[in-house]
Amino acid sequence: MLRELYDYRELLKTNVKKDIRGRYKASVLGVLWSFINPLLQVLVYAIVFPYLMKGAGDHYVVYLVTGIIPWTFFQTVVNQSTTCIKANSGIIKKVYFPRMILPLSAFFSGLINFFISCVIIIVFCLIFGMGVSWHLIFVPIIAVTEGLLGLAIGTICGAINAYIQDTEYIVNFLLLMAMYGAPIIYETSIFPDGSRIGALIQLNPMTHIMNAYRDVFMNHRIPDMGAVGIVFLLSFALFLVAVAVFNRMQKGFAEQF
Amino acid sequence: MNSDNAIEVRNLTKEFKVSYDGAKTLKEFLVRRHTKAEKHVVLKDISLDIKKGETVGLIGVNGSGKSTLLKLMTRIIYPTKGTVETNGRLTSLLELGAGFHPDFTGRENIYFNASIFGMTKKQIDARVDDIIAFSELGDAIDEPIRTYSSGMYMRLAFSVAINVDADILLIDEILAVGDQHFQDKCFDKLLELKNSGKTIVIVSHALDQVRRLCTRAVWIYKGTLRLDGDPAYVIEAYKKQSAIDHKEEKKAAVESGTAAYKGVVFIDSPSDFSREKCGQKVTVNGWRIADSDDFEFSVEVNGKPVSEISEVDRPDVASVYEEEYAGFVEDKRLGFSAAFVPEKAGEYVIRAQIRTAGRIIAEKQITVIAS
Repeated sequence: MLRELYDYRELLKTNVKKDIRGRYKASVLGVLWSFINPLLQVLVYAIVFPYLMKGAGDHYVVYLVTGIIPWTFFQTVVNQSTTCIKANSGIIKKVYFPRMILPLSAFFSGLINFFISCVIIIVFCLIFGMGVSWHLIFVPIIAVTEGLLGLAIGTICGAINAYIQDTEYIVNFLLLMAMYGAPIIYETSIFPDGSRIGALIQLNPMTHIMNAYRDVFMNHRIPDMGAVGIVFLLSFALFLVAVAVFNRMQKGFAEQF
Repeated sequence: MNSDNAIEVRNLTKEFKVSYDGAKTLKEFLVRRHTKAEKHVVLKDISLDIKKGETVGLIGVNGSGKSTLLKLMTRIIYPTKGTVETNGRLTSLLELGAGFHPDFTGRENIYFNASIFGMTKKQIDARVDDIIAFSELGDAIDEPIRTYSSGMYMRLAFSVAINVDADILLIDEILAVGDQHFQDKCFDKLLELKNSGKTIVIVSHALDQVRRLCTRAVWIYKGTLRLDGDPAYVIEAYKKQSAIDHKEEKKAAVESGTAAYKGVVFIDSPSDFSREKCGQKVTVNGWRIADSDDFEFSVEVNGKPVSEISEVDRPDVASVYEEEYAGFVEDKRLGFSAAFVPEKAGEYVIRAQIRTAGRIIAEKQITVIAS
């Protein structure tokens, strides 16, 4: 299978290219939209949240930017790989190619988009006087871990979604839950020590991913690589399961549409 | 698998569930568990070897399973029972322009499209000039393809498809692209591929193309392999069977009330509103077709039937309608010739009519003016 994926590497490349440059090509602001969207989200939370929550922190805007942009990356990878089979049903019915290319394209285009977005995070860090440090070299490791988790979840959901098209709506809901279940727009310190919800949030792998990003961008220290490593191993194991599930289910894709 | 073979099909059976078009939502999925899906056998126990370098035409009527067989060979769908094995790089041209994106240029889209067929950048780079030349798009190749006419779009798509390097080429009804000139060019290119030793499998309704291009024809009849051999022989047998089937189906459909007989009448000469001389014989020439064996045909002039109508051979008409009216045009004299003499000056209304069981199924009326 790896050999075949390698043979089709040009397809992966053109798909990623189409995804990044093609998505907004007809719109006036073009690719900029993929950065404007999370920023608008930041704006909304930055305006609303300080009212709802006392003591949102001095650098709440930077806190939001370093949470929402990585979250958007994760969400995009999961969403796109969940819908990719259905969205490409036209060519799936007509052309043979390794179907795994489709979720992989979602992963790579998401990853590249995120690396570009990191410029925005850095700009915010500089504007708000936090500065940057050499710890940025950890960003690719955290991002690949995060993306792999998204890819693993999305690959399973994408295969199921070809058969039961409710999956994508359920995934949307679960993503929303996962977002509020991780310190993206709030800090974990708002929950008292030993509270049940605080413990639950520690079980969310995204919590550790977010903590790692904050350590790198805001706290300028080496992130908890043990936690990231566990998330990586978990993601990798899940990804292997996902590929096995996907391979079993992909034989029926063309007959589902 | 035998190394002389490009494709080996063994005891292949393919079933589709037909009672529902597949559960699309969770609700349908849950409800469906309690009902039994009906199975429709599309292909029954097919075994077939296609040798390297052969050009094989798969023929059969719509729904016979020939396109399904092609899809199974490409691994778009998988057999219920049995196996399909292929040997060599396989490209399927079932879809033209797969992966095209309207906002990118023709040149970029060549890469998108060719990469779906599994080509690498290097391979496409080596081919891209040939593809552009073949498409005859010229400078338009660097314009976004949303600005293309549908003809240009198809030309580009076909040029990529036909220039993909492959050992085995599977083609489904795609020779009908562009104008006559481009179609001829595509056909020549296929001949060239054939002569260069590629294995080609074509599904086509254009029997004439199968006859000219293929070295072997395989006839799929109701999901089974009916006949396999020299194209001329297989096509002839296929046409005979289609004629019989078509006749029976039509008869059954008319009897059950789901269809009506139809026909066509045409008058070649004289032309409408032409002037004729009084007292001189006017010959009415034309042809008629009906999908019934016992129809009545009449030619009337001003309401009076012309008694003498002779039949004429019209192979040109037969070849045009051989598919639509299969079973009703073979070995028949489709043309007619009737004559009358206008006695007085004035208008003469000529009406040709086909009736079955008293009902008019086709009619043509013209007027000539005698002076």
